[in-house]
Amino acid sequence: MYHIEGTDYLKQKYYTKTKSICPECMDKIDAIIVEEDGEIWMKKTCPEHGDFKDKISSDPKYYKWTHYGTDEWSFEKNGETNPPDIKGKDPRGCPYNCGLCEEHISTCQLALIDLTNRCNMNCNFCYANVKKSGYLVEPSLEDIDRVMKHFRSKPIPPVAIMFTGGEPTVRKDFPEICAMAKKHGFKEVITATNGYGFQKKNGGLEWTKKVYEAGLDTLYFQFDGINNATLEKTRGIKNLIGYKERVIENCRKAGLTSVVLVQTVVKGITDVEIGNVVQFAIDNIDVVRGITYQPVSLCGRITAEEMQDLRITNADVIKEVERQTGGKIGINNSWYPLSTIVEFGRIVSYLAGVEPIEFTCHPDCGFATYLVVDPKTNEMVPIMDYFDPLKIVDFSNRFWKKIKGKEKKQVKFFENFVGDFGKTLDKGVNWLDKQQLKVRFLTGMLQYTKKPGKLMEMFSRMLLNGRWESVSAFTHGTLLISSMHFQDAYNLNIERCKRCIVHFGVAMPDGSVFESPFCTMNTLHRPVIEKKVAKATTDKVNNEFDTSKGQAIEDLAQEVAYNGGIDKKEE
Amino acid sequence: MSHDVFETKDGLKLRKLVDLKPTTAKEYQDAMLHRVEKFSKRQDSPFNDFIENTVVQGLRFILDSKVKIDNMLGENKEKVQNIIEKILLAGL
Repeated sequence: MYHIEGTDYLKQKYYTKTKSICPECMDKIDAIIVEEDGEIWMKKTCPEHGDFKDKISSDPKYYKWTHYGTDEWSFEKNGETNPPDIKGKDPRGCPYNCGLCEEHISTCQLALIDLTNRCNMNCNFCYANVKKSGYLVEPSLEDIDRVMKHFRSKPIPPVAIMFTGGEPTVRKDFPEICAMAKKHGFKEVITATNGYGFQKKNGGLEWTKKVYEAGLDTLYFQFDGINNATLEKTRGIKNLIGYKERVIENCRKAGLTSVVLVQTVVKGITDVEIGNVVQFAIDNIDVVRGITYQPVSLCGRITAEEMQDLRITNADVIKEVERQTGGKIGINNSWYPLSTIVEFGRIVSYLAGVEPIEFTCHPDCGFATYLVVDPKTNEMVPIMDYFDPLKIVDFSNRFWKKIKGKEKKQVKFFENFVGDFGKTLDKGVNWLDKQQLKVRFLTGMLQYTKKPGKLMEMFSRMLLNGRWESVSAFTHGTLLISSMHFQDAYNLNIERCKRCIVHFGVAMPDGSVFESPFCTMNTLHRPVIEKKVAKATTDKVNNEFDTSKGQAIEDLAQEVAYNGGIDKKEE
Repeated sequence: MSHDVFETKDGLKLRKLVDLKPTTAKEYQDAMLHRVEKFSKRQDSPFNDFIENTVVQGLRFILDSKVKIDNMLGENKEKVQNIIEKILLAGL
């Protein structure tokens, strides 16, 4: 934290104004974010429903560091924006005008499509479930195609897409949807999953191979811990760890070596397993590429006391990681807001001439760190042992400040004198200019690199060509650990919504596509939008799964038949 | 594996991590190399680019030397870095 160490800024109490919503009437109200009693709080008052107070961070020093800004240094970045899809009609503005409206100041980097609200599980905190909602939401292949086209036709298109639900893998046409995403040019195709399609005892491996070949790159895999007792509390299913292990095993056998373990962090239930998840990831490092901790969002009406009991913030998670890993992954030296690498990414994409990746989300949205294996000690260490990250970011910021806008100011010297032939000469001059910039940038990066090795080779390739293959090979040498705190009505900060880079796309009946940031979709728009696209559910759909076992009724019946009519309990 | 497992009174198995050593370190190294191998099969793969491969090898050599020089520079490393950074940003 060398930017703020010893400064007066650190001694001052944090205070800022923002806008939020009332958790009761959902109307827009003023809010302040303040430092009180050694923590950071959001406080707001609705004229009708009274005062609300919610914890934003349990570590004021770290919070203040992520909100510190100078001319050359800030984690709050303005994004390159795509043209708005609609002109907002609601005079209250953001977050009521989603569509996407002109107030949004980041581009979508991860497109989300809900493939279905059918699910083989019935988790008590889940918002998308056919049984709970009483209607079916399942876009057709044509609808999905339309949403993909919508995202990919933007001037700055998202490079990655994630399928969500419900459980996306219950769809029979899931492999076809993966192939469709690749055809549309998404570089990274991800599915959020509890592992259903991958874990099947009968045909799970073949299915895993099939979707991998079709284009699926990564599993965003629900993984709350390694104890059956924990999984039963969160998912309501007994003996679930065997199910989870089959997913990992089938991915390993199929060569699908990009699994991200996703732990929903619930105070007193799953938070005790944070270290277990790290260890499980390390034990399966050949397949597991990352861990994402998701502090649970609080939906529905709850009292202030319940709020105190349940609320867990990104800072709490990071401190737990530190505690449960014996201080190896510390809050003060390992974790960075996702927006840290914006300038670095812009330089690489400009110099390599590839699609930019703009992580211009709000600093409160998420934090991340990388672990890598030190070949000498065979121990996983934070990537900071390989780089000096703050200096790399500082240098990238200064470098980008000097060269930004260059792509718009291409040399046109010879063209003015000798016409078309001059154009070729100008191209050559521009190419040479880019090469000299590459040499300068690479040298700068090299300055702050501490160790040689295979990983560094991948890193230098990433800088040289900026290609997705190089990024993918580099991440295959690392374990990414992140914490993403999605907002709810109690802590919603409109500044975060405006900068969101994870957007849902929904194909609407009138032929348009409704695009909405993740948190506003789940906090405000979901019930209204879903009702517009909902279909009537049927008995067949309602009784498709035994959610106490997480399996299809049909598969369970087959298994019993295979066992000679005996309902063999899973070990 | 270097961790202690203990059980809570609820029967929950928790691991007390004392270091972060993977049991599949070789497989981990291989995962990255397999990825490269997979991409190399594509015709337009950057991993098959002769010039890029040469540059990467060159950078590897430079980085090896740089680490040795860093060790020799000791406390003066930061001063040298500042000078080099100024040169790199000059004229932009």
